[in-house]
Amino acid sequence: MDYSIDELITVLMAREVTNTDVMIVGVATPCVWSAFTLAKVTHAPNAIFHYIMGNTFVYEARRVSLLWLENTAISRCHRIHNSGECTLELLPHDTLTTIEFFRPAQIDQYGNTNNTCIGSWDNPKVRLPGAAGIPDFSGFYSRGQSLYVTRHDRRTFVPSEKLFFRSGVGYVNGQMPVAGGAGPKFIITDLAYLDFDEKTKKMRIKTRHPGVSIEEIQEKTGFELIVPNKVPETKPPTDHELKMLREKVDPLAIRRLEVLTGKERDEHLQYVIENEIKMEKRVMERI
Amino acid sequence: MAINKIMSLKEAVSQYVEDGDLVGIGGLSFWRKPISAIREIIRQGKKNLGIVTFVGGLDVDLLAGANCINRVRASFVGMELFGLAPRYREAVESGKLKVIEETEASIALGLKAVYLRLPFMPLKGIIDTDILKVRDDIKEFVDPLKNERLVAVPPIKPDVAIIHVPYADEKGNGNIAGAVWIDDDLSKVAKKVIITCEKIVETEDIIRLPGKGQIPMQKVDAVVRVPFGAHPTSCYPFYTFDPIHIKNYMKINYDEYFNTFIKPENIGDYLEKVGGIKSILNIIT
Repeated sequence: MDYSIDELITVLMAREVTNTDVMIVGVATPCVWSAFTLAKVTHAPNAIFHYIMGNTFVYEARRVSLLWLENTAISRCHRIHNSGECTLELLPHDTLTTIEFFRPAQIDQYGNTNNTCIGSWDNPKVRLPGAAGIPDFSGFYSRGQSLYVTRHDRRTFVPSEKLFFRSGVGYVNGQMPVAGGAGPKFIITDLAYLDFDEKTKKMRIKTRHPGVSIEEIQEKTGFELIVPNKVPETKPPTDHELKMLREKVDPLAIRRLEVLTGKERDEHLQYVIENEIKMEKRVMERI
Repeated sequence: MAINKIMSLKEAVSQYVEDGDLVGIGGLSFWRKPISAIREIIRQGKKNLGIVTFVGGLDVDLLAGANCINRVRASFVGMELFGLAPRYREAVESGKLKVIEETEASIALGLKAVYLRLPFMPLKGIIDTDILKVRDDIKEFVDPLKNERLVAVPPIKPDVAIIHVPYADEKGNGNIAGAVWIDDDLSKVAKKVIITCEKIVETEDIIRLPGKGQIPMQKVDAVVRVPFGAHPTSCYPFYTFDPIHIKNYMKINYDEYFNTFIKPENIGDYLEKVGGIKSILNIIT
């Protein structure tokens, strides 16, 4: 079956989830929510959602939604905690195997990330939203950090000296994170699946997506990637994964808002809003 | 005499919010933000306010557009899938608004430091971030017990906290029927607390609600009833955020937004401008 980039990225993220994970659904990341829901209804039925929208734990899987998210994240939860508990105690703790995907605005060869500003901090060209909870969690995760980027280009993949602000800690100068976690593990992009060399802690191509050459990946990366002798092709989404994603998990393709830009994005947002407003039942379908 | 803290929005804001105050705002980006109180702050022309909020969204953006604020402490300010916060961006990029870089933990710990009466709290996560370079009140130190690197983050003490809740009683017990985020801690440490609410109920009702009074009466100074007071953000379990209004907000000129949507003092007049009953039907859960 043919597939789009948002479907490929979502399926690859879903495959990272294991059956004992706590899956952290952040704010405004429908690709991640779709990926976790897909994992839950395919290979990881016992994984538990943690919604930042609510600071809640939810066991069951329901269809992804833009407007009616609280009717899943809050109405269906078995536990609400406050943000202090969530940020400081529960999620970074190593008794839970936690998986969370971060999407950096910039990333360097050691997996350090920036979500704070483009240009100097004092006089930014673009003020970005900020570090959020990334440094509070990511350095602690014993299974490491999971990252994704929906547009693999030289604006995002930059050498350390061009990272405008380090708001997320990777392998600083090739060292393990001080917080004690396993460090950045992999990055899923629209071109490739990348990981980090065990020794140098520098970014490496692990698999290239179907139809993408190693040259193209290197060309669109602002630093030199490690290229092993063998770079296999990424295993494309299966028909079953695509069918579940399209028909059950995210039929309005809300996830696509993370990859579209400009007018196309605006129109798709309008389409999602209109369709969700029209819903008679505002509790999403259980999958 | 029975305790009754119910007052009008105008009274609450003029009595408890002063120019220059550090204002704690409850909720999270598009969710349960006290937007009617934000509009009142703008109408009263408050100046040089500082904001502390876990995750800022429309609240911070509106105040930035109105030039009411000169500093923001938040882990994140954005308009979710609708884009970057336009007026916040403009104010920061032009140097009018100072960002005090925070993370979720530095805010949560900063509030805890106040009620534990500690001069700082230790934090590990932000070691090696550039936040330390732009915050001269955050310092790295050596753990005296284990000789490891740690960072000290200072207390954060808001002058006033403003929190929107679905239910409150006249004594000031506020019940949040969903995500609490840092609002309980905000109410613990702020010198003054204003609650805006969808419904005024009896204390007996608060006692029977799940979670009871997460914002307890002993900390609350003012209770203001404003149905749809979080609009265009959400207030669970009653309504979600208004995506059509927010989409429009992203495009509209600020003066036009001010004249149409911020000027009307009465919530009914405001809701008429927003689109009246049809807009309400779009968002009720």
